[in-house]
Amino acid sequence: MMRLTVNGERHEHGGDGTVTALLQEIGATPERVALLVNGEVVRGAKRDAVVLREGDSVEVVGFAGGG
Amino acid sequence: MTDELILGRHRFASRLILGTGKFADAETMTAAVKASGAQLVTVALRRFNRERPEDDLMAPLAELNDVTLMPNTSGALTAREALKAAILARELCGSSIVKLEIHPNPHHLLPDPIETFEAARLLVAEDFDVMPYIPADPVLARRLEDAGCVSVMPLGAPIGTGQGLSTRGMLRTIVRDAGVPVIVDAGLRSPSEAAAAMELGCEAVLVNSAVAAADNPPAMAQAFALAIRAGRAALAAGLMSRSDTAVATSPLTAFLG
Repeated sequence: MMRLTVNGERHEHGGDGTVTALLQEIGATPERVALLVNGEVVRGAKRDAVVLREGDSVEVVGFAGGG
Repeated sequence: MTDELILGRHRFASRLILGTGKFADAETMTAAVKASGAQLVTVALRRFNRERPEDDLMAPLAELNDVTLMPNTSGALTAREALKAAILARELCGSSIVKLEIHPNPHHLLPDPIETFEAARLLVAEDFDVMPYIPADPVLARRLEDAGCVSVMPLGAPIGTGQGLSTRGMLRTIVRDAGVPVIVDAGLRSPSEAAAAMELGCEAVLVNSAVAAADNPPAMAQAFALAIRAGRAALAAGLMSRSDTAVATSPLTAFLG
């Protein structure tokens, strides 16, 4: 298990540390969210290359209504 | 002759920009977008929450044809945060157009002009089509235009207040000096206010609360679209000049007495 902070909450990650595994774990549809890892935007082309590490802070965001 | 709204790399036939916040549900929101004919709609970024799938507007918005998304940077308190939000949003929707808004005080939600200006410079350098939400300040508007913004969006009144075109005099000055489209963003309540904004030379109007909080949002969205078209047509037709004294429209010949 790897301890992460996901959207401000503690999260025990049981996968292989890829973005795909994390999104599957939290129930997010990959094409409908964007990510920040430790405050840095994960560019789409580089998403597959990300390997999460113990203690990482991840923000997963999508679009909601707004004016 | 076509009368398109040109915003950087984007062209729109509709001059109504619709916000997607505060609607009762996604169905009402999409019905309002369709009824309004809006081709540009704003969206906000929010943390993903699997407990609230109704927050996710990507699926309902994807069903709308001919609609461009304009993500906003709401929630950003600084220029750096706004830049981060804009880049995240571009990752999501691929759209280069961004509504830059930085309003640190929840009581009045007025834009921070200093952070907004700094953010505009950063976003222009990152190749965004930047649409800044600003106080109705002609000097700031001009500076943002010079910095490369594709429009300026002064407020009519504070967000969500429905106080109408309280900045009318300053809007007139901004319009007179602007080389980019001036878009009234925020504070409107009624279609007549949107028509008035168009008559004084604004090139588009952005509304959200006025539609979302109406009894019948799709019908109100359509009413705004009609008013915006009417105001635009009136501007093109050329308004008569004002007079301090009455000017008769009927002959006043003295044959009755």
